[in-house]
Amino acid sequence: MLIGISLISFFIMHLAPGDITSNESAFNPKASEESRQKLREMYNLDKPIIVQYGLWLKRIAKLDFGHSFASHQRPVLWQEKDKNGNIKPGLIQKALPITLLINLLTIFLIFSISIVLGTIAAIRKNKIPDRLITLFVFVGFAIPGFWLALLLMYSLGVSNQILPISGLHSIGYEQMGLITQFIDMLKHLILPVFISCLSGLAGISLYVRNGMIEILNQDFIKTARAKGLYEKKVIFVHTLKNALLPLITILGLSIPGLIGGSVIAESIFAIPGMGKLFYDAVLMRDFPVVMGILTIGSILTLLGNLIADLSYAWADPRIRRGLSK
Amino acid sequence: MRLILTSLFFICLFGCNKSQTEDVINFDEEASQESGGTLTNAMIGEPNNLIAMIAGDGASSAIAGQIFNSLLKYDENLEFEGDLAESWEVSKDYKTIKFNLKTQKKWSDEQPITCKDVLFTWKAVTHPDTRTPYGSDYQLVSSAECVNDYQFIAKYNEPYAPALETWASLHILPEHLLKNEDINNTYFSLNPVGSNYFALDSWVTGQQLKLKANPNAIHGKPLIENKVSRIIPDLSSQFMELIAGNIDLMSINPIQYSRVFPNRSELNNKINLYKEMGNGYTYFGFNLNKKPFDDINIRKAISYAIDRQEIIDGVLLGLGEEITSPYKPGTYWENKNIKKLSFNPQKAKELLEKSGYRLNNNIYEKDGIPLSFEILTNQNKQREMTAVLIQRRLQDIGIDVSIRVIEWASFVNRFIKTGEFQAVVLGWSLSLDPDQYSIWHSSQQGPGQFNFIGYSNKRVDDLLEKGRRELNKEKRKAIYDEFSAILYEDQPIVYLYAGYGLSAIHKKIKGVKKLSPPAGIYHNDYEWFVPTKFRRNEMSL
Repeated sequence: MLIGISLISFFIMHLAPGDITSNESAFNPKASEESRQKLREMYNLDKPIIVQYGLWLKRIAKLDFGHSFASHQRPVLWQEKDKNGNIKPGLIQKALPITLLINLLTIFLIFSISIVLGTIAAIRKNKIPDRLITLFVFVGFAIPGFWLALLLMYSLGVSNQILPISGLHSIGYEQMGLITQFIDMLKHLILPVFISCLSGLAGISLYVRNGMIEILNQDFIKTARAKGLYEKKVIFVHTLKNALLPLITILGLSIPGLIGGSVIAESIFAIPGMGKLFYDAVLMRDFPVVMGILTIGSILTLLGNLIADLSYAWADPRIRRGLSK
Repeated sequence: MRLILTSLFFICLFGCNKSQTEDVINFDEEASQESGGTLTNAMIGEPNNLIAMIAGDGASSAIAGQIFNSLLKYDENLEFEGDLAESWEVSKDYKTIKFNLKTQKKWSDEQPITCKDVLFTWKAVTHPDTRTPYGSDYQLVSSAECVNDYQFIAKYNEPYAPALETWASLHILPEHLLKNEDINNTYFSLNPVGSNYFALDSWVTGQQLKLKANPNAIHGKPLIENKVSRIIPDLSSQFMELIAGNIDLMSINPIQYSRVFPNRSELNNKINLYKEMGNGYTYFGFNLNKKPFDDINIRKAISYAIDRQEIIDGVLLGLGEEITSPYKPGTYWENKNIKKLSFNPQKAKELLEKSGYRLNNNIYEKDGIPLSFEILTNQNKQREMTAVLIQRRLQDIGIDVSIRVIEWASFVNRFIKTGEFQAVVLGWSLSLDPDQYSIWHSSQQGPGQFNFIGYSNKRVDDLLEKGRRELNKEKRKAIYDEFSAILYEDQPIVYLYAGYGLSAIHKKIKGVKKLSPPAGIYHNDYEWFVPTKFRRNEMSL
């Protein structure tokens, strides 16, 4: 499976015209074609694609993701020490924690807010709260993120200087105490996380709402009510628990999404995350970086599927019983 | 709704320590020179590698240029002056250049700077294993040697006029730190030691790069103590940081210059705008190997049909100039005697008819083939708008034009390298040395070379070769004047415009020259300073 994915992505990437040498110095009259040819040979870019793939596969089998083609030559995945003990940080190593933090916060917020909104909407089905929530989540879904981001940056960052506009840390971050550092970082994260939450709310809250409504109409809820249980217990214990089951699948499927960042949000907010890294690598035809990110992405996708299936079985006895038959 | 409430709650929780006193300060007050303070700017991309010969990207050269010196540099009038070199001599036959280095100068790690470093750098840039795109200029040096610690001699087999320019763009690297390193892949590129005004202080990947004043700087310590370059890829975010006062300077676009600033007096109270000639020009180029562009009348007709002033007004809001030679307007190498072709659709039609084209259904055609072609350009807003204006003007006189916009790497490899294009809207930089051999010489037409439009003119070839061998400034000027005149007569490309470079600099930065010298507004940035009363309290940000 992995080999299939990597083979296809490798070939598609190389189908795009150009290579790293055409971007770094393509239109600099001081750079000659011979020196670009020299670079191409150094990176094995002059060999047939299938040979290049073979070379790549050989390295990846040893878990060696290689070095970026860009002139900084940083390792794609993890830091390396040179003979003097200086450390060159890896590209993914630097970008991943930031993206991971933002995405975890986002997913956590999306799920917790969506469950609340979805539950309210389901209980008050077709009444005013339901309508308002649906309207809100759809407006959030439909609003162009970059536009809202710029508006918020202007109103909260420029007109009233409440929040920082871009970046991850303020200038002078290194001199702050731990708590101030934490608050500083949090302040910088509010807008980006808010923007990426907004578009995700619609899908999940409607999922929860519809799941709840469906279960509320089932017989065992009528039984529960008939035996005189409190409405709270009916809703939270019997209904919500069952309505949340399908969310496990969604959660599992969003694992690969954890390492992907949004290029637009990252550019606007000047966050050095995975989205920007991948996008720039594609534009630069920096094959080792592109392939590195794609490989990790596909591993996580497969892993996510597996985890989703396993936890589904753990959470839902019906599936477990189905398995043991 | 809850979300909004929660976020409001967060905002109130964390956002209450920012004072709003900034608008009250009068930044126009004069102040006496003092050192210290921080200058913050923004870059759209992160530098790749602070060894400029390996890096090749703009951000790297911008930062590396503040850390390293070359042998020579340009003064504010774009004449050469010594950088690491105290003086230099060119021999009578133009084949030997002797540099006398400044003595008693030190790297920022206290080691002395000697000729060995220069020789090491030359060896590095010409070494076959070095991954540099710039080696070819230095490979022309047949031998280089150190006579003693402070004298460097470079010998050429043939006179090479741009030689001095090449020595003004090669950053000299410290031998003692690099001699046992692989220059392509060394930690030094992330943590360099140089000799210029600034030294690297810290570098947070993807976020910011901080420089501090170098006490050993060969021209003396600069006034500014720290320079912070933040990496903000999006230009609108940069602009917001500028007006919020979080960065001190940036280059702005024509809309910001002539629409936003004039309407916002509070911005003008704290930010100064500067306008100077930019470093590049935009042109409309033909593929001369393809019909009908091999016909000079067609090229001239198109040139007459394009209203350049309209493009400057529409695309640059008037913030640009027409040019007639590939040199910066107002500099020494510009040929000021060339008469501009003016916008004249009638003349364009006459020329087309002279070449045998006849109008049919409002489109010119010859032998049943309509005059129609495709303009290719890359994803660049200004170029796209330019192409649209050209399309409209050509449609007016009866030429059918379509436009295609393509991503850069595909553009270069699919179309330019293969020669599979008809016309392009592209740009060249306006170089300081007049040598244009690689762009216009007929031998430079191979795939990946820069005369991709296929221009060949015997006389121009001769002139370009002669110009490369002539080091006498007046004689060189005559050669390149003739070259510019022939180029304009031939119209292998239609010069469209050279845009102004527009900068916005916060008024608290003092020492910026009101009238920018030919070398540009940033030329004297080592004399800039921030008066203590205007300094930002860094912790409150």
